[in-house]
Amino acid sequence: VYAGHFAAGLAIKGRSPSTPTWGLLLGVGLLDVLFGPFVLLGIERVSMTPAVSPGFSLDYIDWSHSLATSLVWAGLYGALWLGRGRRTAALMAAAVFSHFLLDLPVHPADMALWPGSDVHLGFGLWRALPDGWWFVELGVIAAGVGYYWARSRKIGSFGRRAWAVATVVVLLHVMNAPWLAPM
Amino acid sequence: MDMSATGFAVFAFAAFLIPVPLLAWLDRAPRQPPETD
Repeated sequence: VYAGHFAAGLAIKGRSPSTPTWGLLLGVGLLDVLFGPFVLLGIERVSMTPAVSPGFSLDYIDWSHSLATSLVWAGLYGALWLGRGRRTAALMAAAVFSHFLLDLPVHPADMALWPGSDVHLGFGLWRALPDGWWFVELGVIAAGVGYYWARSRKIGSFGRRAWAVATVVVLLHVMNAPWLAPM
Repeated sequence: MDMSATGFAVFAFAAFLIPVPLLAWLDRAPRQPPETD
């Protein structure tokens, strides 16, 4: 999942307009922001699988994407926002954990319960629907961004260019199409 | 770790960071209409 995470962050923004947008959008991607350096440091592993959807195999992502560490990252990120109030902190934590929830149906079973656990979660939409997952994620994006857009029009305190926000998110999803590039 | 994995890791890192300031900027509050007497 890529652009779908941004759609989740925007949906939270629509629900709670006073929450900083950049914080939500950074939060929804935090697990993959951590994944990048973790791979470079040798803590996690990925390999390319051009013949198998989605084009890569997340061989070991227990520290960035396991259920337990996702909750820990969510808690830590939320704690950074406590200065803005408990509600903002909770929403930031929810944004981080939404990443795990959105990845769960799509990933093959590569998300551990905790680092080193033998149990791995993931319902495997990437493998079951090598092209179709893109349309499923498009539906998630339409729901999340549509809600954000509608709320911006109703409330009027954010989303000066909600149409452009929606366009950028859809373009990011197009760039991530299985017939163009892997994610 | 081969270079393709390295490239993928850098790509994933950047792909989730680069859009954030752009989307946040596009999301900012609408201009208030100028007050009239």
